[in-house]
Amino acid sequence: MINFNIAAWRAWAPGLDNVADWQAWSQQPQAIAASDASPDVSFLPAMQRRRLSRLARMAFSVGWPLAEGHEALPLVFVSRHGETPRTFDILSELAADQPLSPTQFSLSVHNAVIGLWSIMRGETSEMTALAAAGDGLEHGLIEACALLNEGAPAVLLVITEEQPPQAYEHWIDDVPFAYAVGLLLTPGSQWHLTLTSNNATSPSKTQWPHAIELLRHLLAGQTSFQHAWKNRLWHWQRTP
Amino acid sequence: MSDLNSDIKQLIIDALGLEDISISDIGDHQTLFGEGLGLDSVDALELGLAIQKTYGIKIDADAKDTRDHFSNVTSLAAFVTAKQAA
Repeated sequence: MINFNIAAWRAWAPGLDNVADWQAWSQQPQAIAASDASPDVSFLPAMQRRRLSRLARMAFSVGWPLAEGHEALPLVFVSRHGETPRTFDILSELAADQPLSPTQFSLSVHNAVIGLWSIMRGETSEMTALAAAGDGLEHGLIEACALLNEGAPAVLLVITEEQPPQAYEHWIDDVPFAYAVGLLLTPGSQWHLTLTSNNATSPSKTQWPHAIELLRHLLAGQTSFQHAWKNRLWHWQRTP
Repeated sequence: MSDLNSDIKQLIIDALGLEDISISDIGDHQTLFGEGLGLDSVDALELGLAIQKTYGIKIDADAKDTRDHFSNVTSLAAFVTAKQAA
């Protein structure tokens, strides 16, 4: 079992910019139409934000306000699929026998976003980029709690997925729309998270991605719920 | 010549994603890298690739004078003109 407090959260998806938007969505959750909409990151100078993909912009837009006022804040970045649009662009260039864009190539690793975060914030705290399965939220929490247990006063956890290019849609079925969720975690026992084996009678997955399910539970004030992913069942419990 | 200068400025803006900059913001003799426009080493590679693709010329990254050719828009235009004539 791991324990932690969720001190604050932020989330973004196309058309959902603030708590009121999420509150409305979560009362009648439905798929959000794919769009090129991108969150506002005008708090960054133009020369710095020009290389940020939408995924990076999503991560920055939820993470930046949460990091405000924290001198040194470790970051756990979680994305199962990463920047699939960039991957697809690079592979398309390769297939056409074209030289690769050095900028695209230099940003094509999974930890590129946290690298940019580190440069732009002058942040030298420990940072991790994880690619887990559909329960990346919970795996990210384990990592974040390890950092809290080592003495970090707070840890930022960012979970984000990009709308995959059409070519991948038969293989990626757990990203209903592009989204980012940021959680500012602090030591405490507000929340308890336990893992058990999922038995065959339980559902094998949640309706929405775990990070989005968590938002729905937080907004509804639910104190006990489960997130299933294949043979793993995560039990969330809030101290009354 | 001045047309080529404008073309190269537009190429810089497009290839490097300079969203808030227009052609008139880049001086013909303004230093492109480090000081001046403030471009970095990844930009240098990206711009080199864009110049090669657009003008069908070959740039030797190891040549000593490559750095000089990339110092500003006017020097780049002169370089492109000379390469295309060669």
